[in-house]
Amino acid sequence: MRTTVPIVVAFIAGLLSVVGFFFRTDTFLGSVRQEFLVWLTIVGGFTLLLGVVSIVRVNWTAVVRKKPGWQYKILTLVAVFAMALPSVLPSSKSPLLGRAEGSIYDWLFNYLQSPMMMTMFATLAFYIASAAYRAFRARSPEATLLLITAILIMLWRVPMGEAFLDLLPGHIAQLLNTYVMNGVNMAVQRGIIIGAALGAASMSLRIMLGIERTYLGKS
Amino acid sequence: MDIWQRIEKLDRRWIYLAVGVTVVLPFLFPSPLPISITPEARSLYDAVEALPDGSNVMLVYDYYPAAIAECEPIAIAALHHLFRKNCKVITLSNIPYGGPSMAERVTRLMGNKYGKVYGVDYVNLGYKYGYVAVLSGMGQSIESIFPTDNSGTPLAQLPLMDSVKNYSNIAFVFEIADNATADYWVSIVNAQYGVPMGCGGTAVMAPKFYAYVASGQFVGLLGGMRGAAEYEILVGKEADAVRGMQAQSLVHMLIIAMVVLGNIGFFFSRRRLKRGTA
Amino acid sequence: MVISSFVSTSLRFLLILALVISVCPQVAWAQADDAPLFRADRINALILVVVFCSTILLYTRWAKQGKSLFLRKIPGLDEVEEAVGRATEMGRPVLFIPGIGELDEIETIAAISILGRVARITAQYETPLMVPVRYPLVLAAGQEVVEQAYIEMGKGDSYDKDTVRYVAGEQWAFTATVNGYMMRERPATNIYMGAFFAESLLLAETGNAAGSIQIAGTARPEQLPFFIAACDYTLMGEELYAASAYLSREPVMTGGLKGQDFIKMVIIVLVIVGVILATFGVGDWYVHLFREV
Repeated sequence: MRTTVPIVVAFIAGLLSVVGFFFRTDTFLGSVRQEFLVWLTIVGGFTLLLGVVSIVRVNWTAVVRKKPGWQYKILTLVAVFAMALPSVLPSSKSPLLGRAEGSIYDWLFNYLQSPMMMTMFATLAFYIASAAYRAFRARSPEATLLLITAILIMLWRVPMGEAFLDLLPGHIAQLLNTYVMNGVNMAVQRGIIIGAALGAASMSLRIMLGIERTYLGKS
Repeated sequence: MDIWQRIEKLDRRWIYLAVGVTVVLPFLFPSPLPISITPEARSLYDAVEALPDGSNVMLVYDYYPAAIAECEPIAIAALHHLFRKNCKVITLSNIPYGGPSMAERVTRLMGNKYGKVYGVDYVNLGYKYGYVAVLSGMGQSIESIFPTDNSGTPLAQLPLMDSVKNYSNIAFVFEIADNATADYWVSIVNAQYGVPMGCGGTAVMAPKFYAYVASGQFVGLLGGMRGAAEYEILVGKEADAVRGMQAQSLVHMLIIAMVVLGNIGFFFSRRRLKRGTA
Repeated sequence: MVISSFVSTSLRFLLILALVISVCPQVAWAQADDAPLFRADRINALILVVVFCSTILLYTRWAKQGKSLFLRKIPGLDEVEEAVGRATEMGRPVLFIPGIGELDEIETIAAISILGRVARITAQYETPLMVPVRYPLVLAAGQEVVEQAYIEMGKGDSYDKDTVRYVAGEQWAFTATVNGYMMRERPATNIYMGAFFAESLLLAETGNAAGSIQIAGTARPEQLPFFIAACDYTLMGEELYAASAYLSREPVMTGGLKGQDFIKMVIIVLVIVGVILATFGVGDWYVHLFREV
């Protein structure tokens, strides 16, 4: 029962979605499909709630059991509630509540969360530099081709590099855009997109037919 | 270890230091260079420019706060363009981590600059879980997916939404993405409902989106900060992206120099090794 | 024989489809007007769906009947067992990251499937396994899959509930935690399979700095360059979806894989035909077939 019901639900929902695609949206089938989509957004909202419950449970357990680093878990819990609670309270009570500009939530998001996320993203620049320094070595013909292409594209994408390329004979910048970005790159991306899409479609079909049950925790 | 081996195996912390210094320098000693406009950016600008004034446009904030540096300049430049044409802007986000907040902040900021009224000239629908369901569902009825806007106001109380019921009332979708949600906009909204689309994204995503530009599914593309800078120039509002290109230029040059240096070290140490074994 | 099997499978599929279609619309023709209910402009998509599904089902049936199906080598997957063996020899753990996507993403499901196979190997060699996850549903699925793998290998007693652990819900918090783990514990083998975003390079480069052997697989083309630069082996695009079939060699999975390849061949032929026709300037009608009719 625990395995059969989800598989049946997956099959019916998948089949209705696929079949509904070929019918007008104002038919009964189209309405059912539309209803399923709305249900998905509602059910999905609860999974976000599940995430909050998991964070609280995992961190609270770590604090109670005094696991290594439990002090940081308290900080995590304080951060969760400091951001979540004021945002769900009605802003009519105080301008600090709710999610509008000037609220606690807005301040924490703009001055704590966003800068922290941007900082982590910015460390990519350093990691890319060290990865490029290590990986772009002319060890083989393919690696040399990779190296030359990378250098040309890096030059092309910045004004300083474009100015340098313009000094060289031939319209290298336009050639790079036409033959590399809109030629080789585009063809390769299409190939990967098509392959990945077919793989995803095949996996979806296996899930619909109950062959793939990993999402149930069964291998 | 000889000098060539040292160069070949340079401690990555020296590289980090060099990158850090190179990023800061242009802000202390600005030296702007001309930025050429790529055909993809030009065609996106032309497509938006060709929209009739007052058209309904969906501006989608599908990027995380981490990508603000690359994506927010695109959003700001797009709003300059759209509000200048008196387009009605409907914003939404498929990103739960701050997407609606960014949409709210940026759109209100730009709306105030152009004297636009919320609910009449622009609306922020907010976020709903399940982007496939959201994009598919909006094809039939936006209100069924977003019964209220981001602030909780029912759509029926917003004058703009009286005439915007589903994609058939949307003239253009301007997607700003740092992840693969753009793929779903293409495969659902553009492919199934025929809504014209343009896209701005991070530099990492841009190579993938060239495939959609070539097939005509995107009318144009803005790739990373370079794309944002191009769009700022086209709309005549040069700002953060144009300034940021100076730092990006220097860092690119630094990386190229380091790659060349690394290869020199690689070749010489390999040659020395061969001589040593010979 | 081949054609008749294909036709019979297609016909069965169409029959089921027709039954569903015939039942549902009959409930309410109330909204019907003169316009046809069926979207004839999508008939090309319907043909593709029918051919695709029939092919997958046909090859799956053949595989179940014992027909041997060739799979080409995927070096990254062949190395998984060796990499786990390396970790065992060094007395260091194996780190498996099933992506940072939710469980409703196909890549995550593929990653969980691969996790099951890897868990069998780590159970066999009694190598410590660490699986950090970003979402609670992935945690639940991962725990069940790993526990089941250990039980099937007869090592249920050595299964540790903390093997699969919920780390953080936010992308960069997750990355920072995993990076910290890599630098402290120095896993011998890092396996990245699933949906990755901007943190891919941070993870891979940190793993490289920690001296781990790294095998990665993602269907996101934009992350592939980072994995290729920083990892020892990379599975590209659909190789990730093929991994589960490749590692298990189960007939049902292998059959689906071969079916996919057949469809890819069909697409290649269609593209070549289109290129030839377009080169001679007579391709418009052909292109029109693939647009809305």
